[in-house]
Amino acid sequence: MKGLHRLWSGLLIAGALTGCATQPLTTGALEPAPPAPAVESPAPGGINIPIEYYRLDNGLKVVLTRDPSAPTVTVGVYYHIGFRIEPRGRTGFAHLFEHLMFQGSANLGKMEFIRLVEGNGGVVNGSTRFDYTNYFQIVPAHTLETVLWAEADRMKGLAITQENLVNQQEVVKNEVRDNVLNQPYGGFPWLSMPQLANENWYNAHNFYGELADIDAATLEDARAFFETYYRPNNAVLVVAGDFDPAQARVWIEKYFAAIPPRAHPPHPDLAEPVQRRNKQHSYVDRLAPRPGLAVAWQVPERGTPEHYAFGLLDQILLQGEDSALWQKLVQQRGYASSVGGGINLLGNQFNYDGPMLWTLYLVHDPHVSADAILADVDAEIARLRNSPPTAPELARALTKIRAGLYELAGSSTRFGLVDLLGAFALFDDDPALVNRIEAGFRAVTPAMVSDVARRYLRDDNRSVLIVEPGRSAAGAEP
Amino acid sequence: MKRILVLALAFAMLPAAADTRELPPASGEPREFSLPVKETVQLANGLSVTFVDYGTVPMVTVLAVVRTGNIDESESTWLADVAVEMLKEGTVIRSAADIARVAADMGGSLSVGAGAEQTSVGISVLSEHAAAAAEIVADVLRHPRFPEAELPRVLANLERSLAVARSEPDSIAGEALAKLVYGDHPFGRVLPAPGLLATYDIGAVRDFYDENFGARRTRIYVAGRYDRAALEAALGRAFGDWRAGVEPTVLPPKASETLQLQLIDRPGAPQSTVRLAVPVPHPAHELYFPTTLTNSLLGGTFGSRITSNIREDKGYSYSPDSSISARRGTALWVMQAEITAEHTAAAMTEIYREIERLQREPPSTQELDAIKAYRAGLFVIGNSSPNGVMGQLAFMDLHGLREEFLTHWIANMYAVTPAQVTDIAQHFIRPEGMTVVVVGDLKQIGDNVRALPELQGARMP
Repeated sequence: MKGLHRLWSGLLIAGALTGCATQPLTTGALEPAPPAPAVESPAPGGINIPIEYYRLDNGLKVVLTRDPSAPTVTVGVYYHIGFRIEPRGRTGFAHLFEHLMFQGSANLGKMEFIRLVEGNGGVVNGSTRFDYTNYFQIVPAHTLETVLWAEADRMKGLAITQENLVNQQEVVKNEVRDNVLNQPYGGFPWLSMPQLANENWYNAHNFYGELADIDAATLEDARAFFETYYRPNNAVLVVAGDFDPAQARVWIEKYFAAIPPRAHPPHPDLAEPVQRRNKQHSYVDRLAPRPGLAVAWQVPERGTPEHYAFGLLDQILLQGEDSALWQKLVQQRGYASSVGGGINLLGNQFNYDGPMLWTLYLVHDPHVSADAILADVDAEIARLRNSPPTAPELARALTKIRAGLYELAGSSTRFGLVDLLGAFALFDDDPALVNRIEAGFRAVTPAMVSDVARRYLRDDNRSVLIVEPGRSAAGAEP
Repeated sequence: MKRILVLALAFAMLPAAADTRELPPASGEPREFSLPVKETVQLANGLSVTFVDYGTVPMVTVLAVVRTGNIDESESTWLADVAVEMLKEGTVIRSAADIARVAADMGGSLSVGAGAEQTSVGISVLSEHAAAAAEIVADVLRHPRFPEAELPRVLANLERSLAVARSEPDSIAGEALAKLVYGDHPFGRVLPAPGLLATYDIGAVRDFYDENFGARRTRIYVAGRYDRAALEAALGRAFGDWRAGVEPTVLPPKASETLQLQLIDRPGAPQSTVRLAVPVPHPAHELYFPTTLTNSLLGGTFGSRITSNIREDKGYSYSPDSSISARRGTALWVMQAEITAEHTAAAMTEIYREIERLQREPPSTQELDAIKAYRAGLFVIGNSSPNGVMGQLAFMDLHGLREEFLTHWIANMYAVTPAQVTDIAQHFIRPEGMTVVVVGDLKQIGDNVRALPELQGARMP
């Protein structure tokens, strides 16, 4: 049931930063709310985040942003290793390894990292995404040095045992059961759609991992994976909050500078072939009581003007109850109580580095055919393919983006901000891009929006995924 | 302004002594933390508005919280949800599409939701639209049109949500647990019976609204950056002449203190969904602070005893968690875990062992201090955002808590002793008074769970 406790529960003190156990691919039993998907930007007078950006001699990128509005600091360490480039035959390994990062390092035994942070009044977690794995804490401001020391300790190396590995293999398999195997619509569509829509194995495998692959992982795999990817010159350290940047630089030098860099890891070719045929796949979900439908298209290359134009298209078509698809599918047709989706279902349109899908999805009643819904989707897309968005439509999209960026910049957890700074440093070597997001959107003309709709929202660039209910619609539970 | 110094502990957890490991560097001096400034005013009809000045960006949230919800449904389960969903379907001057568009033009979207005891209508917008935000929240709350033509769609949506809920192990367990714990009280009816939703017509929706919405039950919270005078005037115009309506319903539930067990079959389930619940002191009770710390220490944090045991030691579960689920005048300690099917009984045994260990011996000062430091940190984080502050104020208003709840929070928490924690475990977190629900593959787990010594003599519905 919806309600105060759902809508505003993240706001209640007792529940602050807990719950969300279903957010996939995270370490924690207690998890901070993830950054909202599809967060966006400002215009003249938009956000202006103060950013200090530099690099240690060993290649570690450092982003500092001071915000004294609350006496806390948020620390994020971002490694340029996401689930899509994990080794073949070891599906799910990037995420399993994220769990291992909490199992002990030279000076912090198992559970000691977590207890150190919690015992200092902080919260801690990690998550694995397409192109990065991140580790983050929010702590009282005066404990910053302690946390920097701890993150440096595990960047130097892990000290884990076979017993720790087996323990986390069991935990991760339970996570997969929790979020996928024992749930109706488990993994739909965030896990299943990339496997249909993409051709390149790196983009198209099971990111959570086959249980047999998770079981097959060895300590030697973990050692090799750490040595390949967990190096200072493949990472970004972000510190945001109430701290003295000059003092932070001293501590960062003290704890991180001596960690030796290693050769750059090989980066596989992630390119997707241009899609030239409409794909469709259906599967039976034995736990689902109603049909599900997801539709995805490959999006323009990240960071290009077309990509920003596509972001506006996303706002106009899919984000919010004012969007065209919400109004058509939910408000007018009544197919579903909501339609979800966006660019990058596990993040936003900026925090990845490779091919990506724009996906929409809903759960509907059996008397409505997928074809009827697709026809309505096509009609809304056709409108924008045939004529540019109106001035009020475009202005509304930009307003939503501006408000989203303010929320990002104003959040006291600073997770969304740290995440974008980490991603822009990692993928673009330019965290200050965060201050230019809104300008990127404002440079888009109505004609460009229509143009990307024509070029990307093509029928032969589309993948349709159908969930067939395995339970009767009546769904009586014994 | 009340200034509260949060005493965080320097490296509360040290690596074991007598080895060659490096120790974490000591923390610096804790900073002072001030609760955000707030002020409450009364509109002409007595409706309270609390203004919180907070935030660094030009955004403002206007949130109206009405003391109604499922508590007022009697046997018409989800009628509150239907009525509140229908609020968004249009007002006398706006269609649903208008509401969505106007909200988006201000940089926001209207959030509407019914809860057990509180119903909220709120929106966050760019600061320049603060007055318009007040107006649209009032319009939706005060002048719903309840268009009959939209009701079948809203009901179909809720029917679909219900079907999905009945296929989710968490919802199945939650429904059974609520029924066993709260019995015939509305809180005991979490999901409507088959066919019930279809009986609600527009008259029932309108009646629910007319009987339950009004100024006496409503409080408004404003937080963010805004022009105070202009917003106060706008709120006065928008809400100042709203009818008073009735006082909030007083209907405290009686929560079961009897040992009860329900096993629900989910053939082939790879995990068992386990819930244990028992009444504990509620937020207005003098023992609330030791209770909430006991929860954090026992199962409510990543580093807690139960999580350390069944996750980090044994790998039985990914996300075990205990929490305090509060209603006005009552509260439950609820333990939840999704456990590998084959380890169901073993994991439940470990949960009981951790409870019994805490009943037997007080935690060390060091362990309890770490929990206090953790909760102090969360207090600062939670009180450092406009939404966090508003959520907390709504919580305090529901439970009838005074300002001291906030201003003395840190001091009250730090005053809790290890012996008090053990007292709470002994007197309240009693396995022999628990309601236990397990949803899983009974062919595989049923016998082992039924054989657990703690469940002998349980009433089995």
